Amino acid sequence: MDTSSAEPQWGVLSALPGNPIMWVLIISEMLVFGAFFLGFAAARMRDPATFQAGQASLDVIAGGLNTLILVTSGYCVARAVRARALGQGIHRWLAAGMALGVAFLAVKGHEYGREFAAGHNIDSDTFFTLFFLITGFHALHVVMGLCVLAIVAWRDSLENLETGAAFWHMVDLVWLILFPLVYLLR
Amino acid sequence: MSQHVHPEDAAWGRRLFRAWLVLVALTILSVTAALLGHDDTRLSLAAVLVTLAASFLKARQVLDHFLDLRRAGSGWQAFFTALLVLILGGCLGCYVWAM
Repeated sequence: MDTSSAEPQWGVLSALPGNPIMWVLIISEMLVFGAFFLGFAAARMRDPATFQAGQASLDVIAGGLNTLILVTSGYCVARAVRARALGQGIHRWLAAGMALGVAFLAVKGHEYGREFAAGHNIDSDTFFTLFFLITGFHALHVVMGLCVLAIVAWRDSLENLETGAAFWHMVDLVWLILFPLVYLLR
Repeated sequence: MSQHVHPEDAAWGRRLFRAWLVLVALTILSVTAALLGHDDTRLSLAAVLVTLAASFLKARQVLDHFLDLRRAGSGWQAFFTALLVLILGGCLGCYVWAM
């Protein structure tokens, strides 16, 4: 049997859009963030008063604004993928998605500045240690996602776009659990 | 040159837009509900359930429509649903325990 020119066999991963290796990364990232979220909830269970005080100081409107920004960015990136599938221009949608990603980071930076000004930092207590670690780790994923989107805007085959978009939607998905858990559940 | 839009593509665009609207509506509702409470008020069990259910619905919108997992088959949909239920269910268990 000649296997030298055969396509890689990805088994069940072949059914997923984009490059299967990206999906291995996405599932791994979801498990890591899932462990963070369960750790956060377990820590809160042991010391609810500290967590309630910390959550009361958070800017819920900024968090909600960032949720709207990220889901709208995800919508733009999904439109870019569809536009490529139809042979249409993608850069307007992709640029809008990336600009919203930058806006997310700007709001996050404003939020961190507000917390630092209020005297809160990563050493303040268990809540703020987990808050800065989890949201900071997520923000780094936004930065990474912007880099990935910039690369696929340059090398804009359909598979590349689906792969980059899948990573971006994973970043979106993680925030949709992070936001209510950290900001809203008191 | 005008481009003909296939009905299936138009339906896809509407589906994606509806998903975005659901995400925006659920976000505004959950933030409004949180702002209506006082800062020092703990949520009731019902409010925790509603908040986590909204989070689950939003995550499913992203998975089904933005990531287009509907194309990937029922096995993958079940896998990601199970992962969400595990994470959100674990968080719910911790919150109930602390009440």
